[in-house]
Amino acid sequence: MGFLMADKTVQCPKCSQKITISGNPGEIIKATCPSCGNKGRVTFKKIVKKDDIAIEVSKLRKVYGDLVAVNDITFSIRRGEVFAFLGPNGAGKTTTVEMIESIRQPMGGTIKILGKDISTSFDDVKEKIGILPQEFRSFERLTVKETLEFFSKLYKKRASINVIIDAMDLRDQKNKLYMDLSGGLKQRVGVAIALVNDPEIVFLDEPTTGLDPKARREVWAVIASLRDEGKTVFLTTHYMEEAEFLADHIAIIHKGNIIAEGSLEELINKYGQGSILHIKKCKTKDAARILKENGFNVNTKNNGDIEIKIDFKERVLEILSILRHECIDYDSIDIRCSNLEEVFLHLTGARLSEEAYDAR
Amino acid sequence: MMLDKILASFISDLKTFYRSKGTLFWTLAFPVMLILIFGAIFSGVGDIEYELHVQNLDDSEQSLSHQFIQALENTGVIKIVNVSKDADIDSYMDENDIKRLLVIPGNYSETIIASQYPNVTVSVNLSFHYDQSEQQTNQVVKNIISNVVRSMNMGISGGTEIIGIEDIETISGEFSFIDFFLPGMIGFTIMQTCIYGSIERNTRLRKDGILRKLLTTPITRSEWILSKMLFQLFLSFLSAFLIIMVGILVYGLSIHINLLVIILIVATSFLFTGLGMLIGRFVRDEESAGMAGGAITFPMMFLAGTFFPLEQMPEFLQTFAKILPLYYVNEGLRNAMIYLKTDDALFHSIVVLIFASVFFIAGLLLTKWKED
Ligand SMILES: Nc1ncnc2c1ncn2[C@@H]1O[C@H](COP(=O)(O)OP(=O)(O)O)[C@@H](O)[C@H]1O
Ligand SMILES: [Mg+2]
Repeated sequence: MGFLMADKTVQCPKCSQKITISGNPGEIIKATCPSCGNKGRVTFKKIVKKDDIAIEVSKLRKVYGDLVAVNDITFSIRRGEVFAFLGPNGAGKTTTVEMIESIRQPMGGTIKILGKDISTSFDDVKEKIGILPQEFRSFERLTVKETLEFFSKLYKKRASINVIIDAMDLRDQKNKLYMDLSGGLKQRVGVAIALVNDPEIVFLDEPTTGLDPKARREVWAVIASLRDEGKTVFLTTHYMEEAEFLADHIAIIHKGNIIAEGSLEELINKYGQGSILHIKKCKTKDAARILKENGFNVNTKNNGDIEIKIDFKERVLEILSILRHECIDYDSIDIRCSNLEEVFLHLTGARLSEEAYDAR
Repeated sequence: MMLDKILASFISDLKTFYRSKGTLFWTLAFPVMLILIFGAIFSGVGDIEYELHVQNLDDSEQSLSHQFIQALENTGVIKIVNVSKDADIDSYMDENDIKRLLVIPGNYSETIIASQYPNVTVSVNLSFHYDQSEQQTNQVVKNIISNVVRSMNMGISGGTEIIGIEDIETISGEFSFIDFFLPGMIGFTIMQTCIYGSIERNTRLRKDGILRKLLTTPITRSEWILSKMLFQLFLSFLSAFLIIMVGILVYGLSIHINLLVIILIVATSFLFTGLGMLIGRFVRDEESAGMAGGAITFPMMFLAGTFFPLEQMPEFLQTFAKILPLYYVNEGLRNAMIYLKTDDALFHSIVVLIFASVFFIAGLLLTKWKED
């Protein structure tokens, strides 16, 4: 593998010294800063052929009584990508992911993981996947290290537990009992457990639900590092920021149906409203008329605010120069970019975050 | 590979066990406490005066035996009860539930007088009859008698053993409360640890997603259940051992360990693990399942003759008790380890084995890991 050796230049987080380190793709190398002695790890991205299909789901169906929890959905996930399955509570995310993990029995459709139909060969697949179930809690009275050792012994293929502990940033906690950890740390241990067999595909069902923003960001960092290692990540979430931040590929599920699918950019371009420039408390009467004359799509609000739809970034400068030129008086300006929230609103007429909130 | 996984799971259980004060208390300390408390209530430990029945066969003129009896009484802790000369010792002890009795032989005075002549070596033996069920008290009383005998020997001959004591153990057929209670305590403790352990595994581990997680790992359901059974057996034997040790060391019980005892402990573990699985299957929520467990074990504990013999209960309850698995466990253990009634023990073991097969297999078949 030596011929794949790559160099990577990183900056020491403590003293900002630049260091160049070489390693093989997929490798994690321990590094010590030559000037301040700070210790850290450098991850070399794995080279993954992104065309390979990791998971292929076709016409998957599950019905509970009168409720169609998952309605003949079809999608596929490429290797090495972070796939976000985004939807409000009760949309059918867990039902779908647990059918793929062979925990629940589908009522129709087929699932292939790494080319194998799981209805017949799930046992072969087990060694290659790692899962974190929704609301998972591990054994209360085992330490982090013992927990990882236990789960590791269940597999033929075993990743180094120390490397996992380092990668998940659990060094200080490795001898603490699981029950004594904070919620964020527990979730990180949950992710670590999903990695004990060095899986190709990692399933994380709502890994950040119930965490405070800081702990949530820590888990995000951990998930981002999985992508760097070349793992395929199946992430379910009802937080659009999570999908925006992490996902290469997003599918939005609503009431058992996939209502939109694509990259973040694709979704926003297709379903978003574009960016809106918002002029607050405009005091010049003619402002809206002047902007309209210049060919802008203007919307005047009752309180004197003006909203202008922006299709190209360059037009923002144009607006600013008009405002100055015409001596238009206002309090402030802000620009709101389109996001998944808006995509969801457009598609369903409901707000994702509110719906998620109400359901709880 | 398979052993690997089972061992890993067993070790995890062991660590969890010794770190959980609650479980430690209920499986080990609680049964011991209960035995000590009940033992104290029922065996009258704490009396300061001991009753000693004495049959004095010595009827010579000098009646030196009276001197000896007087010396015993002077210790202040022995209360002498005279037994008539023509009483048959064994039946007298049995009928009157006497736990210890001293017989002074007819040649007592004679021998002591003879010993005063030079160059004559004679000796006389007092017989100490006792019932094994109160070994502790017997030991205390025997020590007192020995002390008195020693000082008498000192006075008579300057230390040469003229008077001796001979132990005679009587089997009265009457067993003490502790004899009855201890095997019941073993059955009860195994029932508790197995039912609650099993309920926890089938409710909390399900709720926490651990069972779902395990479904996606290479461990099979049989490997998992096997490892849990192994741990339950370990706990059962550990608590049985502890209870037996208390019985032997504190109460001086004579407890017999044989194949039937082992079979009963193993079968009982399977029986109640299976029952716990069934409870966890139908009552999904951990707290309610715990209550359901209590609703089953608590009445069973009283009705199946753990604390008092079935004969003391009304007729219809006695009939009812005979459908309770714990009744057969308790009776089987008593017959196998205390009363040595092998035929009865065998019958009870077979009944327990049948119960165990039914509950354990039903538990296996009806519980599943998969979600709906
Ligand atoms: N075991 C079940 N029995 C009945 N209904 C279920 C069951 N599991 C899920 N559901 C229903 O299916 C729908 C989808 O649930 P779920 O997949 O858990 O949603 P999500 O994970 O997106 O929050 C919900 O309406 C839920 O109530
Ligand atoms: Mg869910």
